[in-house]
Amino acid sequence: MTPLHHIGEFFRNVTVAIPLGVVRAIFLALLVGLLIWVLRLPDAETTPADGSGKATENLKLWAGLALAAQILIYSLV
Amino acid sequence: MAGKLAFIDYLVLAAYLIGTVALGLAIGRRIRTGRDYFLAGKSLPWWAVGMSLVATDIGGTDIIGVGGAAYSHGLAVGNFEWIGCVPAMIVGAFVFIPIFWKLGIYTIPEYMEQRFNVGVRTALAVTWLIFMACNLGIMLYASAKMMNVLFGWNEPACVFITAALVGVYTLAGGLAAVVYTDVIQCAVMIGGCLLALFIGIADLGGVDGMLESIRAVEANKGLPEGRMTELILPADADTPFPWTGILFGLALILSPAYWIGNQAIVQRSLGAKSEFAAKASYIWGALLKNLIPVIVAIPGLIALAKFPELGDGDKAFPTLVAELFPAGLRGLFLAAFIAALMSSVDSYLNASATIVTNDFYKRFFRPEADDASLLTIGRIVTAALLAWAIGFAFVIARIEGMGIYAIFQTLMAFFQGPALALILTGLLWKRANGKGAFVGFIGGVCFSVLLYALSQEGVYTSLGLQPLFKVPDPFLFYSIWAFVVALALIAVVSLSNPPESDEKLKHVVWHFRKGGKS
Repeated sequence: MTPLHHIGEFFRNVTVAIPLGVVRAIFLALLVGLLIWVLRLPDAETTPADGSGKATENLKLWAGLALAAQILIYSLV
Repeated sequence: MAGKLAFIDYLVLAAYLIGTVALGLAIGRRIRTGRDYFLAGKSLPWWAVGMSLVATDIGGTDIIGVGGAAYSHGLAVGNFEWIGCVPAMIVGAFVFIPIFWKLGIYTIPEYMEQRFNVGVRTALAVTWLIFMACNLGIMLYASAKMMNVLFGWNEPACVFITAALVGVYTLAGGLAAVVYTDVIQCAVMIGGCLLALFIGIADLGGVDGMLESIRAVEANKGLPEGRMTELILPADADTPFPWTGILFGLALILSPAYWIGNQAIVQRSLGAKSEFAAKASYIWGALLKNLIPVIVAIPGLIALAKFPELGDGDKAFPTLVAELFPAGLRGLFLAAFIAALMSSVDSYLNASATIVTNDFYKRFFRPEADDASLLTIGRIVTAALLAWAIGFAFVIARIEGMGIYAIFQTLMAFFQGPALALILTGLLWKRANGKGAFVGFIGGVCFSVLLYALSQEGVYTSLGLQPLFKVPDPFLFYSIWAFVVALALIAVVSLSNPPESDEKLKHVVWHFRKGGKS
């Protein structure tokens, strides 16, 4: 066994011990965290410089929708 | 499926091919400069770039392969299109792509010189060029082989015809032709796969009928109930997709490396007509990506429910189409397969030509070259790369017994982790410097090669060792460790050497984006 084998075995044992319910929560936390970050971005970074100000022109809406779909998928499947 | 194709199927395919090539040639008539050729004159709309991103990502072999992987390993393969794409695309849209777009760069290696030094630029350019040039040959060969098996077509003829069709419009129209033909290809691909989904589910009596049949197959194979429809699989499951590899290797390393560092992907957003369009294209692509596993992986599960004894997963999608589709619609699936193939080959061809022209020819041989001459060089390089790809496809066909196809698929995992470490530290850590970046990149690549070697049976048995990884095809894990090693080396070497000046970092680091001070 090389040091790489010992390191790999250690991480493998740690990750195998994590229940799948907790793993699913980690996946969802990643996606929810990203959704919160997107929603908190300044409008200047998510809207066109010469836009009309309509909500549909704000990329937060569409990025939020893409992430909401992901949250739904990883909650259900 | 070979005997199932009718005249009308070939008619549908011919209509698609003629339409695609004609559009590409029409766009080619407007190309005047190197900027037009490599960046579409910075004129591309967000919707076209977004569809092109998706079409480029899904190759012809992917449609068959993802369906096949779902057939063999279950829905967990959908992670590659969901958590393996969407989060990285959204972060890329708001953090990385705007900086690249504003710099007006043509290639990611070009950014590396602005941020670090010419050594880092060249190392990354050489790596990407080798990978993309070889991948061009592999895509041509793998798809021709698949067409031979599925449709009974002659392999060498498939290589030549695909290369000729893609070559004609890519040579003429550069990035604009690639992106607009990708739009058609994306629509055809999604349409063809959606048909397979709807017809397949209807044939099984709806979603409930499909799930019931899959549960029966699971029981017959002795699998835990629900295994084939689960996204998150245990870390010790006998699958290439345990959650550890999916989260740490795919979602956190390979996916961001691909969506913010792959020249074939990023280049189209650099050609967007505004910074907002560049961001919007990635968001639109992320929305579309939510759909892809539904239309590509679920047909694999439908095939599992309907034909559980196929053996080879790659037969799943074609068998489904051959058995369930009426004449004419089979032609649409065939067009979808060819569309997926062409959209990937054209992108890699254009991206490779961009790297050769900008990172080698212009950088080292003719820095004073004007934009018009770069167009000529770009077209010559594109033709040369196409010839290389055809030649390499035939070389692979001769030596495939050596496993070269599998080796090149793993090659991407070798350098994606270190490449991501370069981009992340380059953009987000102003203390990183050129020496650290160079040592980190080379060290990370060497480390992943070491891990690969230690995973080969001949190597570990001759050394009296156990295999380093216990999952089959552990390429996701090479990328994790190569990334960690590259990051550590960049940090240690950078902190041991003087920092770059603030003047140099002014436009290339996130910290200075809003006028931040050191």
